[in-house]
Order: sequence, then structure tokens, then C-alpha cells
Amino acid sequence: MHELSVALGLLEGVCETASRDAIDRVLAVHVRVGALTGIAPEALQFSWELASAGTVAEKSALKIDHIPLIVFCDRCASERRPAPASGLVCPECGSTCATIVHGRELQLVAMEVPQ
Amino acid sequence: MKYRVVQIEQNIMRKNDALAETLRGRFAQSGTLVVNILSSPGSGKTTLLEQTLTRLAARRKVGALVGDQATDNDARRLARSGAPVRQITTAAECRLDADMIGKALEGWNCGPLDILFIENVGNLICPAEYDLGEDLRVVLFSVTEGEDKPLKYPLAFNTSQVAAVTKIDLAEAVGFDGDAAHASIRQVSPGVTIVELSARTGAGMDAWIDLVEARAAEKGRRPAGVG
Repeated sequence: MHELSVALGLLEGVCETASRDAIDRVLAVHVRVGALTGIAPEALQFSWELASAGTVAEKSALKIDHIPLIVFCDRCASERRPAPASGLVCPECGSTCATIVHGRELQLVAMEVPQ
Repeated sequence: MKYRVVQIEQNIMRKNDALAETLRGRFAQSGTLVVNILSSPGSGKTTLLEQTLTRLAARRKVGALVGDQATDNDARRLARSGAPVRQITTAAECRLDADMIGKALEGWNCGPLDILFIENVGNLICPAEYDLGEDLRVVLFSVTEGEDKPLKYPLAFNTSQVAAVTKIDLAEAVGFDGDAAHASIRQVSPGVTIVELSARTGAGMDAWIDLVEARAAEKGRRPAGVG
């Protein structure tokens, strides 16, 4: 349950950007959340509501872009998407892949503000 | 409502990552090996640390920071080893972060340490995201937990350099399938070093201590920082 910490980290980035650009209202916030982060989307939504209350981002929508786990398989020389709960095992050749390409993302991407 | 999009593109963990880098610089200066220990509650972090501190305290300057949501029971247990120990009570937080480590080091009169152990809060999800400036991340996994645990918490295992299978003295009693456990560890962390041990009986403890000491010796020899 580190969703509240994540929401507070997001809020910091949002408020910094808003104050830099003299923005007084944020309508929506876009985030990227990788499959490996263990973040529960409902908990993040709930935490965002709590964290953003009383700020420029109050009542803003949190739009989560879920990033699946993608590994690089050396044997296939290709990016692969492992089956759920199979670790980093290549679904094609069965070898374990050492390189995680996507899935660790925890990023504040952008925000929507009134025109 | 008409809107425009403001691009930001920033890593949410950036503050912690920056603080962790500062800590890493500081530990490089002092030549201190930092070991961050992660596991579920009840996998044996405190028992392993008790034995580890006791064995190392005679020939190395060792200390420990211990994270728990409440109580200082673990710190009191570890302090019996004679090594300096400080409790970090995290209250609502389910993990330690670099800021907590920085604050705990302030005013902690432990002298220069060869090895600093950090016992994280018992949790396999949240602590995996937080770099504490450590050299070595060690994830524990006890034989009573189910061989597929690494598949359920891949990040904790993937970001660790050492996976320690603990309570190995109970393996037979609980029908632990070592091959299956090793296979699931390898599936999420192909390069990890696996050790098996029992802090209670001492089985496998020599290999564990040797591993830590070898890393400490390596770090202590490295020239401290540049300039």
C-alpha cells in the first residue's frame, strides 16, 4: 500500500508544474503505471482523491495508462510479453529473460488544464 | 470544457532516487557496505540479523537500522548483539525510504561502520520501489511461504542481488520443494545469488557471512570518492 505516497509524489509534480506555468486549475492527470509496480489502480484513484483535495488538482480525473510487462528475450532477439505470473519467462522459447523493457514505469506524464 | 495538455514526463520516484544517490555517495566516502533486507512479515529478517550481527561484531564494525510500523521490539532484540542499532518507526508507511535513512543517520553516534544492515518493513511490494542507497539488496523467502512466492512478488526478487531461503531446518517438516523454489526465483531474477540457511541452527550461515564479508572487503578497498 504505497499508493498514497505515489499520489503525493504525483501531486508534487502537478503542483510544481502548475505554479511554474501559473495554472490555477487542473482537470485531469495522466500517469503511466507498470505491471511490476504492484500498484492497485482503485487504491491509487482513492489516494489521488484524498491527496488532491484542497489543491489546484481537486476533483481532477486520474487517467492511468497501464503498461504491461515486456521483456527482451536474448534467444529470440525480440521483445516478448510473458504470461501472467510466469516471471520473466519468454512465452515463445521458455528461456528466462534478464532485461525488463517495460513494466517498472511509475511516471507523471501530462496534465489537462483549461484552455 | 476545452482543455490543453501540458506535458510533464517525470519519474514519480525521482526525489527518493536523488536522496538515495546522495546516501550512496556518503557510504562510498566512508567505505560502508549497505545491505537492505526485504521480506514478508515473519520470514526471519530479525533472527537472521541477530545472528549476523553477533557473528560479525567481533571483527567488523557493524550496525543496523530497523524499520517497523510500530514498536521497537526488533531493535531491542538486535541490540543484544552489542552492535549499534537504531529503530525507525514508520507509522503509516509500509516501507523505508531514503529520507528516513538520512534522518536516522543524523545524530546516530555509531562511529564509522564497515557494514550497515537495514531491516526493511515486512512487506514485499512497497520496499521494492525504494532505493535506500544500498550496495546489496537481499530478499528473504522462508520455506514455510510457498515455492511460488517469487512469481507473486517479482519486483522484490528481480531487484535483489541475493535471495536467501530461510528456515531451511523446517524444509522437510513443511514439505518444501527446493527445486521448485529455486526455479521460481530464477524465473523472475535469473542472475540472483541464492543462499539457503537457518539462522536458528546455523546451517548455511558461514556461506552467508562469507558473502557479506567479501562484499564489505571489496567496498572497503575501493578508493573513497573522487577528489
